[in-house]
Amino acid sequence: MKGHLSQRQLIEHEFKLADSGGEEIAEHLKLCRECRERAERLRRKFAALELLRGEGSLSEEQISQVVAEATRSGRKSVVRFWTQPWFYTAAAVFLIALLLVIPKGSERRHGGETAKEPQRSRGAAELPIGRKVPDRMTVLSGISGQEASGSEISTEPPFAPASAIELVVLPRRESVQLTVYNSADLTLVRERRNLTLKRGWNWLQFMWANTLIDPTSLHLKPLEHSDKIEVEQLVFPPRLTEVGRWLIRSQISGRAAFEITYFTSGLGWRAFYMGTLSQDERRMRLEGYVRVANSSGEDYENARTRLIVGTVHLLDEIAELARRKQPYGRPGRELPDGRVSGYGGYGGARWFNGAMVDLADYTSSITAGGFGMRRPKEIRKEGLSEYFLYTIEGTETIPDKWGKRLISFDVSDIEVESLYKYDEERWGGRTIRFVKFANDQEHNLGQTPIPDGAVKIYAQADGQGHLSYVGGTNVKYIPVDEEVELNLGPAREVVVEPVLTDFATENYVFDRKGNVAGWDEIRTWEIEVTNTRPLPVEVEITRGFQTAYWTVEAGAKTAYEKHDAEHIRFNEKLAPRTERKIKYKVRTFHGERRESITLNNHSKRRLNHER
Amino acid sequence: MESTDKSLVEAHCKGDPEAFSELVRRYGGSVLGFLTRMTASPELAEDFFQETFKRVHEKAHTLRGDNFKPWLFRIASRVAIDGFRRRRRVGIVSLDEGIDCGGRDGGKVKMAVTADSSYNPSQQAIEAERTRQVRRAIALLPTKQRATLVLAYYQQLSYSEVAMVLGCSIGTVKTQMYRALRTLAARLPDISGGEQ
Repeated sequence: MKGHLSQRQLIEHEFKLADSGGEEIAEHLKLCRECRERAERLRRKFAALELLRGEGSLSEEQISQVVAEATRSGRKSVVRFWTQPWFYTAAAVFLIALLLVIPKGSERRHGGETAKEPQRSRGAAELPIGRKVPDRMTVLSGISGQEASGSEISTEPPFAPASAIELVVLPRRESVQLTVYNSADLTLVRERRNLTLKRGWNWLQFMWANTLIDPTSLHLKPLEHSDKIEVEQLVFPPRLTEVGRWLIRSQISGRAAFEITYFTSGLGWRAFYMGTLSQDERRMRLEGYVRVANSSGEDYENARTRLIVGTVHLLDEIAELARRKQPYGRPGRELPDGRVSGYGGYGGARWFNGAMVDLADYTSSITAGGFGMRRPKEIRKEGLSEYFLYTIEGTETIPDKWGKRLISFDVSDIEVESLYKYDEERWGGRTIRFVKFANDQEHNLGQTPIPDGAVKIYAQADGQGHLSYVGGTNVKYIPVDEEVELNLGPAREVVVEPVLTDFATENYVFDRKGNVAGWDEIRTWEIEVTNTRPLPVEVEITRGFQTAYWTVEAGAKTAYEKHDAEHIRFNEKLAPRTERKIKYKVRTFHGERRESITLNNHSKRRLNHER
Repeated sequence: MESTDKSLVEAHCKGDPEAFSELVRRYGGSVLGFLTRMTASPELAEDFFQETFKRVHEKAHTLRGDNFKPWLFRIASRVAIDGFRRRRRVGIVSLDEGIDCGGRDGGKVKMAVTADSSYNPSQQAIEAERTRQVRRAIALLPTKQRATLVLAYYQQLSYSEVAMVLGCSIGTVKTQMYRALRTLAARLPDISGGEQ
């Protein structure tokens, strides 16, 4: 062999790739030192491949896992059905059936169905037309298939199907219950659905696309045959978003009732009130309303609705969770009994400080429900730890994007006080009207707290029942036994006009240089209060001095009380169409003169009082 | 007497669950090693490994003759190639994957070295780096070359068996092998320097 060996020859020789010439190369290597060294370098290079030699050890656990998984998948046999004699007959029948069905389908489209209408299974077509069907749930035939009724059900769950799903049934909601937490944009939904199961492993698919459902809160439990039906886990298949699948192991074949609970966002409610004052304005009828609005993306038909007053503590924003593609993160935590939970099953508990964990089965007193009912539905109220529960009687259908107003309470003969207030520092020179009452039994209220809401007050304008609008305001949450003052805005018929009639200064104090170091200011005020209404009124006048160093001299008939360090208050009751004048003199102390009232505060006051 | 692969496959086809376990026990390590080197990702390799034996379980009745091992690796390589296509991850290998610091075997290695009085952290780091370089060099090979190299070199299949696995001629196998080795000769680290 002439010359040196090429790299190719060396590689082929080392790895026995050449069909011939091996002996010649071996001979050459014996004689050629340079080629031998190159071959040795190459060998050392390839020795690095040995670093990966040890990879691939297998534990017994892995072996049994693989065996279990492979065994579970079952053996599938391919049937070449086109070779079967019946195939052509079946194909012919199918074609004829197709030709018969297509014209009907096109007729239906002309009948108003839009092209965008999502495809539904046969079960969906049987549901009433005109209503959006809650089609978020389907039972799938799991890849495990139906197991023979006598055979043992595999203890190992089947592999989660990610595609090629066969729709079996579209279970409708039998009932639904909503618990709306207004303060947190949170609603607990409890649905009851009848699912038809096969004996063995079943997959139940739940979709929440275009809704605000929190998938981490999904929970499913059988209401019947709970000893024979086991909800094993909730899985979220890859590549499919907004879809969860429950794996159910059933020892029975047939229909069973299930309860599905989850949280959703987008349902809300607010309270508002209408007050009607009697002609003498001493009594009021108060009607409370609740408006429930649904923008959750889901229709709730015939829902039992409960409203929670109070603030709940939320860890996550439900709407944000619902929009997240993978809100559930990694697979679930271990349960005390050793099983691994699916997601959400116990999600509800984490939102509450203990109080709302056990929302006991709702037993509504639907005594006057049904069509043709004239009496407005009652809203039952119950205390629930620091929350309060309003239960709307019967059921309500709340479609998506709809709102519904329901009457909450209607109480007559609430004793009220009309009060007019004058405080320049708060409202300028206007007199403000208030209606005052208490949420207690004396006022025919006090059974429940009154939730936040807008109040509109009307007054009976005449004996014929005509109403006039008096004013409106927003009220904050009113606990039981608490007083409430409704601000109805400026009053025109009760006028308060303060006039400064005299001003003087005295008691100047000078420092060593002869500069003024302190003095007193004396103001004499005359407040004219006019009531032009045909009703007696009570007026509360607040006067401020912008200093805490003051004394007031008022007439013997003029009563005042110190409200705080810088303010006094006069309370005057005026007969219909009368006026009254309040006179008082206020002395304010400035500079070093303040010290005199500070040092001799008690004695000064006593002196003034005696004077 | 140890059962042959053929008798195990036959027993499995007749419903003997133990036969399949034995086949997994016998070839699982090789298949996992093959797939780990093919994918350069232990997690992906485990997925493919599961899928390989699932297919073996389902298709065992289609095996003709007694070439179980090539047939098995043919399935494994098919699974890997299909998996790559599906995941569009051919040739994309994270440099951080598979380093012996957090893997299943990494812990064992570390324990063994720690027990050794000649434990040398810098030597261990060098070795880990070299292993990473080798894994990367193999991972960067075209899929067929990689499969050929892994089957012939690591799994020690004959070239004719590799040809059966990959469904090509022996000549093609040898060409692929040569090309793989030529590339590796340029890319593999020289381990002689580290032993000085």
